[in-house]
Amino acid sequence: MITRRWYRRSGKEASCREVGQVLQSYLDGEVETEFTAKIEAHLEKCRDCGLERDTYQQIKSSLARQAPQVDSEAIDRLREFGEQLTSE
Amino acid sequence: MGDQGIDERTQRAAFDRYVVPEIEVLYRVARSITRNPTDAEDLVQDTMLRAFRGIGGFDGRHPRAWLLTIMRNAQINRVRRKRPELLRDPDATMERLADEDSGDLGPEGQVIERGYEAAVEAAVDALPEKFRTVIELVDIQALSYQEAAEIIDVPTGTVMSRLHRARTRIRKHLEDSGAYVNGRPT
Repeated sequence: MITRRWYRRSGKEASCREVGQVLQSYLDGEVETEFTAKIEAHLEKCRDCGLERDTYQQIKSSLARQAPQVDSEAIDRLREFGEQLTSE
Repeated sequence: MGDQGIDERTQRAAFDRYVVPEIEVLYRVARSITRNPTDAEDLVQDTMLRAFRGIGGFDGRHPRAWLLTIMRNAQINRVRRKRPELLRDPDATMERLADEDSGDLGPEGQVIERGYEAAVEAAVDALPEKFRTVIELVDIQALSYQEAAEIIDVPTGTVMSRLHRARTRIRKHLEDSGAYVNGRPT
């Protein structure tokens, strides 16, 4: 989890630069939840940063769809291997 | 469980509790690391065996991170056996393999025809290995920064910076290939 000093400034809105610095970590779920509201408030109001978010979110979503189908037979063989280890 | 000399029953129970639930994640990560289903299965077996033998020394905290560290070391040993010239500089093993194995970028015209998803795939293939690895671990296999850091043995901040640079490259690749304009896929 990342933290940055600007999060802690009470009442002050995040700037485009500040949001840009943490945008990808925010999309990765690596920003502490107490600070996400500040980021989301900025993204709601700022069209440019909102587009930036959409851009990286599209890339992330596409990448997530590339996860290869897990070979269930391989997983079964590995589970059997584990059972053999614990039964010897 | 600080004692390596635990009894067999405790050892088996700990294995079932900490290792078995992670088998699928281990296999997914192994596929990313080895790029070969057979090697991946062998690597997971090796990892499970080492975990079983060493579980008496495991404190029970963060089992996935512990297993990923075991897998990383197992993989380094496997690479050493295949590539003994790397033995003198084990810390650079992953980096060297990375630089040697950068994928070639296919013709951009084909990328446009195959659409956005294919363009993203081609952009990932074109990344240098050290960038491609973090993309595979975090974006494709959904590991956290910390878990990815364990497997490639770098600080969490390095995972973050590589990830950001990798995505910036992917974005530029998409723009250059015409697969994406003004934040929207074509």
